[in-house]
Amino acid sequence: MAFVDRAYSGLSNNIHGGFEVPDWLSAEHSTGTSIMAVEYNGGVVIGADSRSTTGSYISNRFTDKLTQITEHIYCCRSGSSADTQAIANIVRYHLDFHSIELGEPPLVEAAANIFRELCYNYRDSLMAGIIVAGWDKRRGGQVYCVPLGGMCVRQPLAIGGSGSTYVYGYVDAHFKKDMSKKECLEFVTNTLALAMSRDGSSGGVVRLADLTEKGIERFTVLGDQLPRFYEG
Amino acid sequence: MGSRYDRAITVFSPDGHLLQVEYAQEAVRKGSTAVGVRGSDVVVLGVEKKSVAKLQEERTVRKICLLDDHVVMAFAGLTADARILINRAQIECQSHKLTVEDPVTLEYITRYIAGLKQKYTQSNGRRPFGISCLLAGFDYDGVPHLYQTEPSGIYYEWKANATGRSAKTVREFLEKYYTEELVSTEKGTVKLAIRALLEVVQSGRKHLEIAVMRRGEPMQMLDVEKIEEYVVEIEKEKEEEAEKKKQKK
Repeated sequence: MAFVDRAYSGLSNNIHGGFEVPDWLSAEHSTGTSIMAVEYNGGVVIGADSRSTTGSYISNRFTDKLTQITEHIYCCRSGSSADTQAIANIVRYHLDFHSIELGEPPLVEAAANIFRELCYNYRDSLMAGIIVAGWDKRRGGQVYCVPLGGMCVRQPLAIGGSGSTYVYGYVDAHFKKDMSKKECLEFVTNTLALAMSRDGSSGGVVRLADLTEKGIERFTVLGDQLPRFYEG
Repeated sequence: MGSRYDRAITVFSPDGHLLQVEYAQEAVRKGSTAVGVRGSDVVVLGVEKKSVAKLQEERTVRKICLLDDHVVMAFAGLTADARILINRAQIECQSHKLTVEDPVTLEYITRYIAGLKQKYTQSNGRRPFGISCLLAGFDYDGVPHLYQTEPSGIYYEWKANATGRSAKTVREFLEKYYTEELVSTEKGTVKLAIRALLEVVQSGRKHLEIAVMRRGEPMQMLDVEKIEEYVVEIEKEKEEEAEKKKQKK
């Protein structure tokens, strides 16, 4: 069972068939991964790490956690890979249908609410922490946070995944309103690099994307190009 | 002979007809004309727009509907019936994409709609759908298709066809003027569709709605000015043809 994050064994016991197993095989409940999204005037910048784990084995070190829902709406996935992929597919279905009925591209708010409907109504069976981000012509760039229980709230900035806990302080200190696209990209890269260097279940490369009226522009910051901070 | 055998749809008449289905086809014949032409790079659908009452808002009445990004449908007959079928087809297009991760092929969605129509010819207490649909679009392998479904639930593929009022006249026109060479360009295909419609639509240009489906691109509804350009060109050509005939005589 691959996870976008750490292993989640619901019943955490360390005894399998009478044998003691090492601690690191059973995990804490927090969802691995580091994901982030920032609004700016004219669009959003989203970013994620690229590590998928099955227990402590890195099953995919080049994962793409930035998933397209429509041309202008993307989501950052954290939690169970299977759950978040299935949810994203279903949301894509609903939004495609909705946009054909509407005759125009759907609102980011609509996408976020469909995510929320699924995540809330099936909250007991799912493990999915999702950040929905995109651009529409009514409200421009928007970021909506849909964490584990199925809440939905719009924020200028959202961070998620297990790696996010290590960077709340950095984000609070360095976020400013009305940043430019370049500043946002740098801010997201730095934040994710810090999260990845402290969180064991985050790592690999930083995947970035800039979503505007014109569509998506993707970037990848490879391991050796990641900004480096105090590593003592 | 219909009187005793047209009550319930499930009953055959003694001479083997399903009268309700035939009456549904009659309803189609009363609907405004729809025409479809398949070219090599585009598929064109055209419908006759009914003139609106003085006080009525001229919303572009949706007689041409998108079923998915790559499938467009026009119909003739009962508009309300069409709404139901369109809704079911749109859901099926999305459902197909979700389960098999591929967009529907034209044949698949035509078969689905035809299957739906057939069900209503074999159910108790329900009447058939009073519409005939023209489905147009490109499969993901890039091949264009034009299909027609009827209230009975049969479907055929066509190079060009018409349905609704005066369909026969339009079809005869198309049979006369359709050539592979003519429809090899977008302009030729659109012109043929408009010409065919103009044969039967009273007071022509302002009452046409034309949809153009190009490979890999979203559907485009031609706006009034563009249609006007085509109509002017067509009328010029007609005049030139009439001149030539006069000269020959």
